[in-house]
Amino acid sequence: MGQGRLGTAMETGARDGLLRRLREVVGEQYAFADPYEIRLYQYDASPETALPDIVVIPGSAPEVADVVRLCAQAGAPITARSGASSLAGGTVPVHGGVVITFPRMDRILEIDVDNLRAVVEPGVVNLALSHALKPYGYYYVPDPSSQGACTIGGNVATNAGGPHTLIYGVTVNHVTGLEVALPSGDLVQVGSQKAAETTGYDLTGLLVGSEGTMAIVTKIWVRIQPLPPVQKTLMAVYPDVESASNAVSAIVRTGILPAAIEMMDKLSIQAIEAASHAGYPLDAGAVLLLEVDAIPELAEELGQRMAQVCRENGATEVRIAKNDAERQALWKGRKGAFSAMGRLSPDFYVMDGVVPRTKLPETLAKIDAISVRTGYKICNVFHAGDGNLHPLVLFDAFKAGQYEAVLTIGDEILKLCADAGGSVTGEHGIGLEKRENIRYIFSDDDLEVMQRVRQVFDPHGLMNPGKLFPTDGLEPSPSVSAPSPARRQPMPAGQGEDLWV
Amino acid sequence: MGVNTRTEPVPGHQISVEVQRRLEVDGVLPAKVMRPTDAEDAARGLRLCDLTPAAVVVWGGGTQMRLGTPPRRYDVALSTERMTQVLEYEPADLTCRLQAGITVAELQRTLGEQGQRLPLDPPHPKRATVGGMIAANTSGLSRSRYGTVRDWVIGVAVAYPSGKVARAGGKVVKNVAGYDLMKLHIGALGTLGVVAEVNLKVQAQPQASATVLGHFEASSPAIEAGVKLSRQYLAPAAAIVLDRNALWACGLTADWSWTLALKLEGYAREVDAARDLAARSIREAGGRVEGQDIPSSFWDAARDWSVPDEPDAVLRAMVPLAAMPVLANAMPREGQAMVQPAAGVAEIRLPPALAGSALRRLRAAVGENSQVIVASAPPDAKTSLDVWGPPPPGFAIMRALKDALDPHGILNPGRFVGGI
Ligand SMILES: Cc1cc2nc3c(=O)[nH]c(=O)nc-3n(C[C@H](O)[C@H](O)[C@H](O)COP(=O)(O)OP(=O)(O)OC[C@H]3O[C@@H](n4cnc5c(N)ncnc54)[C@H](O)[C@@H]3O)c2cc1C
Repeated sequence: MGQGRLGTAMETGARDGLLRRLREVVGEQYAFADPYEIRLYQYDASPETALPDIVVIPGSAPEVADVVRLCAQAGAPITARSGASSLAGGTVPVHGGVVITFPRMDRILEIDVDNLRAVVEPGVVNLALSHALKPYGYYYVPDPSSQGACTIGGNVATNAGGPHTLIYGVTVNHVTGLEVALPSGDLVQVGSQKAAETTGYDLTGLLVGSEGTMAIVTKIWVRIQPLPPVQKTLMAVYPDVESASNAVSAIVRTGILPAAIEMMDKLSIQAIEAASHAGYPLDAGAVLLLEVDAIPELAEELGQRMAQVCRENGATEVRIAKNDAERQALWKGRKGAFSAMGRLSPDFYVMDGVVPRTKLPETLAKIDAISVRTGYKICNVFHAGDGNLHPLVLFDAFKAGQYEAVLTIGDEILKLCADAGGSVTGEHGIGLEKRENIRYIFSDDDLEVMQRVRQVFDPHGLMNPGKLFPTDGLEPSPSVSAPSPARRQPMPAGQGEDLWV
Repeated sequence: MGVNTRTEPVPGHQISVEVQRRLEVDGVLPAKVMRPTDAEDAARGLRLCDLTPAAVVVWGGGTQMRLGTPPRRYDVALSTERMTQVLEYEPADLTCRLQAGITVAELQRTLGEQGQRLPLDPPHPKRATVGGMIAANTSGLSRSRYGTVRDWVIGVAVAYPSGKVARAGGKVVKNVAGYDLMKLHIGALGTLGVVAEVNLKVQAQPQASATVLGHFEASSPAIEAGVKLSRQYLAPAAAIVLDRNALWACGLTADWSWTLALKLEGYAREVDAARDLAARSIREAGGRVEGQDIPSSFWDAARDWSVPDEPDAVLRAMVPLAAMPVLANAMPREGQAMVQPAAGVAEIRLPPALAGSALRRLRAAVGENSQVIVASAPPDAKTSLDVWGPPPPGFAIMRALKDALDPHGILNPGRFVGGI
């Protein structure tokens, strides 16, 4: 197994001293440095790896605060790791130090329907929260495709999105307050929590999406909302991605606000059909899945109107789900897209660029040109409604040079997203993976202000160092290495067929 | 760093006494004015002020200048009046990029031509600027349904005292690259930087809308009906509860003790269903559903009510939904009251002389997890009012952020929470 990056960085004596003190806080069995035990904590869902020096599993917020304070005193880097489904290497401890993980902090502390809030610990799995809310008729909106494995803490740190964030917004739009542990060892509550608003700077909004580089999140207040009465889903088939993209813009222009608009291109459709027989036509150039939330007396009408717009914009076939079984069938293909790629290729590299909706056709054409030029197949399965592309570059890590070639392709795709007025990440985060690409959209001046803000929280650069910012001038640059061929694209445990990106 | 230690002359343009008066803030007058034309221009101006150092108060439309504590110092008025361009607008992307000095009404007009809108309705849109809406975090009456300013701003370019312009966010609706510094500037009252350019998400105008009015003998059942509706899928776009005086101020002369006014928006069928639901809820709560003949200016007047032209004081309470009934019981009888039950906000307009005791009573009633602030008051009244109340949790971080981004404290010194 490739060790990947630098990782372990502490002197043995310093490490053992810190380990002893950490054990006094969390208990003997919840802090360890055994070379075999810590190996599990060197990777996440990205291809990168690096070993921590110590792993700690705190049981409460005050324990987290003590752990953070002890680490800061010892000058040890601190990396939070929750569901470890990061696709950007966010949890990989590139500078070694201490990994803090949250399986013991997975309690839903409160469901408060009266105030439309739930209060949770960071280790609560996203889907578990929505399951718990369902009996009350409510849900927590952001639904990353990894929702069976990722946690609310990780979602907050990455400002996670998902297919159904199109009208309702991403994580930050649903988080009203946080409790965080600062490197000083202080435990601070910020935000309006259960009230509508509060005074002062919006620290909650700032901390959401900060990828563990400012503070460790120990408690989260989230907004909950009533479940939609009906979800109307339809599939529209197009000869090519261009006409499908134009249909997306046309629907948006009609004033209908779909809850989700997802697109799959020809190659993805072929992979999906081979894996799950969702019923997408094999000769289709592109398939759109559209879903709208509505009251029962409106759902049919909206479905018909969307179908009409789809046809007017070149759909060769439109299928509206008549019941929940048909709806599930339509989604099944989309949800299985990720794992279906295994039918086409032993490895794939997932990307996360964003372009303005209207730039989808030309961007997809350029990605296709890159594929043709380089000879690497690229599938597109993505959140078309908000222009959030997920190109999947297919490769074989056993073949020398392929991983490096794929990284170059990824870089080129992100550059063209940025040039189209978009972003280098729509939901997965900058992490380790895109810390150089961030320069495509931000200048030195932009980054300098961000760095100053970071230092307010983390003056010594101990919170998840090596992430989010470019390396030059700011932090030492660990060396990049290829993923081990033996380790295929990891899947969160227990997931597979029902995952979608 | 008081006036006496200044070594350089104050930068900016000379102004007449008349202009000086117009740019007064809480009784303090500026010496000079700056009217930058773009972000870089604003940053250059700020740099000069930072070197002097000269204290800067940023001016948009001036509708929220009565918010906040009086400035500690005020040398230069930096006005965004020449920064009014729509820089980009692509209707099919549902996004736009603007200079911060554009008025909200002008923005809505531009969007309206394409059948779109920004679903925020800050008071006095013809004067209020987009930059001011961001700095003062004025979201309007529809916040429980459409969210607040923070939910619609997707990017900013900010001029800092360092003389640099720094951007955050971007043009696309989904973007997690870098820190979300937009959030820091929203509601910061211009104490961290001058928001010079703004990228917004926008939405299609609703297909239909309607108003339902219910009248009640007491405030609590009206408020509770509003709170209950907000927990439903067909939640109203805006719900307000007004006492008789506030109702009259909004142009309705009916003799009702308390009125629940509901604005319903959405697809036509949805609005029909929401109307039935609203009427049912009003009746179940013991209220009476009233006829539809309300003046078209009613919602505009309700929107502007919290920023009166009269020298009233306005108190604003922000509480959890479940605490709305407690709040209702603690509301002062004098003055006028408007409650937004679905948003957890209540506002009271009253003569300044009565504001102090009302403020203390409200603060005692709402308890922790809630805030009561003075949203507006004439300068002489402010000297005896605790405008912001106790500093919020996390204040030490806020202070440190201020020091990091405005090290010489030239931006709106003293106007914000905790003396920032
Ligand atoms: C198959 C698959 C599909 C995916 N689909 C989506 C999708 O649709 N939308 C989407 O947004 N993402 C998606 N992702 C990416 C990933 O699931 C998200 O980034 C998710 O939010 C990470 O949550 P986690 O609990 O796994 O966090 P981790 O991976 O453990 O951590 C992510 C980052 O958060 C930091 N962090 C974790 N916990 C804390 C804490 N308590 N305090 C401070 N920082 C912390 C970590 O240091 C790291 O930087 C997908 C991933 C996979 C593998």
